[in-house]
Amino acid sequence: MSDFANSLSIAASGMEAQAMRLRHVSENIANADTPGYHRKVTSFETVLDQGQATGEVRLGAVKLDPSELARVLDPGNPLADQNGYYDGSNVDLVVEIADAREAQRSYEANLRMFDQARQMSASLLDLLRR
Amino acid sequence: MDIRTSFAAQTYAKARPATQPAPGAAGPAGASSGFAQALGSFADTLNASETTAKAAMTGGADPHALVEALAASELAVETAVTLRDKVVEAYQEILRMPV
Repeated sequence: MSDFANSLSIAASGMEAQAMRLRHVSENIANADTPGYHRKVTSFETVLDQGQATGEVRLGAVKLDPSELARVLDPGNPLADQNGYYDGSNVDLVVEIADAREAQRSYEANLRMFDQARQMSASLLDLLRR
Repeated sequence: MDIRTSFAAQTYAKARPATQPAPGAAGPAGASSGFAQALGSFADTLNASETTAKAAMTGGADPHALVEALAASELAVETAVTLRDKVVEAYQEILRMPV
């Protein structure tokens, strides 16, 4: 029975990690027009319990994308230099949307696993009930 | 007293120990290793899910943790209820035995 409980908690950890990833994607999209904003890159890591991998996943340290900021031409902007350019953000909306879609698919996969573990345990108990 | 009645009483007294639990299983050592442990982990699961539900209502816990804890406690309760039904059914089956 504890295998079912383990798969429930592992699937829940996957859903939690994907939800956090979606949160960082939405931060990136919200700050797409913020001058000088570096997009946040999320990473995943396995959870260790006394040196043993439990199979659960969690979000690792969030890093900032070091790629170059977009140069935006806007002479009227107070941040603009003498050539009329200022540093925008390095957020690419297409990349962010793709990342969000990937997070959604992965979340759905974890949700299905959660549901399947529940269904399997329910049918096992049904067998005992007959 | 009728001889048959006393014979039946004797047989009954002899048969009674068969329904008693084995000496090793009923002691505190046997209980703590098997059934009591299962019951303890069942109570722990329910306690953990109640704590998580309380934390979720006050905004302290993630909804994912709440769903996970509720699913785990559902699993535990279903198992316990099914086992109880099975045990009660077996007991009733014994009571229905023609004597």
